[in-house]
Amino acid sequence: MYRIMTPTLPLVLIVSAALFSIGLLAALSRRHAIFILIGIEMMLAAANLNFIAFWRFAPPPHPSTGVMIAIFSIAISAAEAAVGLAMVIAVYRHYRTTNVDEYDQLKG
Amino acid sequence: MIHMRYLQLLKLASPEAVVVLTALVVLSIGLLAKRATFACAFVAGLGLVCAIVAVLLLPDDETLFGGMLVISPLTSLFKITCLALAFFTVLLTGGEKVPRHPGEYLALILLATVGLMLLVGSEELLMIFIGLELLGLSLYVMTAFDKTDVRSAEAGLKYFLFGSTASAFTLFGISLLYGMTGTTGLAAIATRLATTSIQPLLAVAIVMTLVGFAFKIAAAPFHLWAPDAYQGAPVPSAAFIASGSKVASFVVLGKIVLIGFAPAQGSAGWHSMAAGWSPVLAALAALSIVIGNLVALAQSNVRRLLAYSAVAHAGYTLIGFVAGTREGFSAALFYTTIYAVTLIGAFAVVGVVRRETGGDDFSNFSGLASRSPALAGSMAVFMLSLAGIPPLAGFFGKFYLFSTALQAGTNQALLWLVALGLVGSFVSLYYYLLVLKAIFVDVPSLSGAESMRHAPSDFLQCATVTVLAAVVVLLGVIPNVLASRILGAVP
Repeated sequence: MYRIMTPTLPLVLIVSAALFSIGLLAALSRRHAIFILIGIEMMLAAANLNFIAFWRFAPPPHPSTGVMIAIFSIAISAAEAAVGLAMVIAVYRHYRTTNVDEYDQLKG
Repeated sequence: MIHMRYLQLLKLASPEAVVVLTALVVLSIGLLAKRATFACAFVAGLGLVCAIVAVLLLPDDETLFGGMLVISPLTSLFKITCLALAFFTVLLTGGEKVPRHPGEYLALILLATVGLMLLVGSEELLMIFIGLELLGLSLYVMTAFDKTDVRSAEAGLKYFLFGSTASAFTLFGISLLYGMTGTTGLAAIATRLATTSIQPLLAVAIVMTLVGFAFKIAAAPFHLWAPDAYQGAPVPSAAFIASGSKVASFVVLGKIVLIGFAPAQGSAGWHSMAAGWSPVLAALAALSIVIGNLVALAQSNVRRLLAYSAVAHAGYTLIGFVAGTREGFSAALFYTTIYAVTLIGAFAVVGVVRRETGGDDFSNFSGLASRSPALAGSMAVFMLSLAGIPPLAGFFGKFYLFSTALQAGTNQALLWLVALGLVGSFVSLYYYLLVLKAIFVDVPSLSGAESMRHAPSDFLQCATVTVLAAVVVLLGVIPNVLASRILGAVP
């Protein structure tokens, strides 16, 4: 019989902070454009998790602000992913690579 | 509370609605007639003028849904400014070599304008975030719009990667703020923050929220995208990024720190540093002034030079916010408005030179004075105004900004920042004069002169540039027209 750990606010915040840090690390250290994009999406997901958690654990009369923001920001991050993928394809057509280190037409 | 009056909402949001409708109309014209550049530009311009009229018809003071839509003299004034800047950007597209899809390009400009208006006209963090993303996503696509140019696509991707990382930071910061205050309205946040001291989590939330805006205004160290985007993007996109996007971001940044974070101001005085947003902005300002001016010295491309000087100007403007007073806010807004007008003009000149000579390095500008005296004279006005030479608008902007910063705080606590700004301005004069030297003194190389296509400069472009130069001169001679209006509108 497993005892399921009840989620508490600090626990969720630790998870979301970890998710954000992993996403940031991916965005900064990866050289592949798609992986950077995945890292950014993870950072946005961490923020959404925060909104839901703060809404869920708020004192009783909780208006649904947190959920509303999460829904909006999920839609926004979907749009962002679409634009990002389109951008990667546009660059890939010129360079034939997705390694961001090899994009070197602009420098200074 | 849910009894919202939809008709009233439609009336109050009519300027935004007009711009969105215009965008859809332009998009369908572009779909039906592939090469209808002129028709699209005409409809877009007409829509923007109608939106300005709609803003003028708005009531004086109105707040909907806890600050999601705020109508006040300040928001109306800057909605008009943003619409006017968008109008000039549309004029710039007229001269560009016909893009493959003029309708889509103009529709993107209009959607970005809606983003600007949402940013300016909102005092609620969710709406601000939506406006920020609408603006950002439109600008990324506008930057990468020239599919035949490698550099346009590369600039677009870099802009996108930096931009979406910064907006992820902002969203995370907003989520922490929401958690600590239980609300997202700026005024409500301020009342909650007034009763608490600055805890570590609050400091993290404030810094993370500010990152996204520091990115948008291209303050160092979040400026890395700016040189690439300014250089690689199509000229009208670059002009819009440098003008409209900057103005709206400064307005909303000012509202967030001065209204939302008002209880957590802290102090950036030399001997009286105290935790809060003010030292954070002061550090950004100092870093931007130093890095922007020093790196601009080494540039040989006019667009990259404008980008690094934009970093420095973001630093000067932040000094107004650090001052933290009503005068400081209005001085910063006055400065950024003048800066936006100047940069649209400068980019219009760059656009013409680029069309005539095929590039935008210093060598492409040599001999501009003999080819087109009007353009050369206007460029001189823009560059000298950016450097802050007395009869022009840039001088008065800097004077107003630095003097309010000196008056703020006890014992001239911000003297160190003002001194840094003054030294930065002296340095900047050197590289602005380099541009003018190329235009007025340098003799174009023979091969360059031969390869030049002697297309007569577009009349519309020249007229636009001259009008903008006249505005810069007029605002320098009678700055009170705009300055008193902004000061009166700031709450």
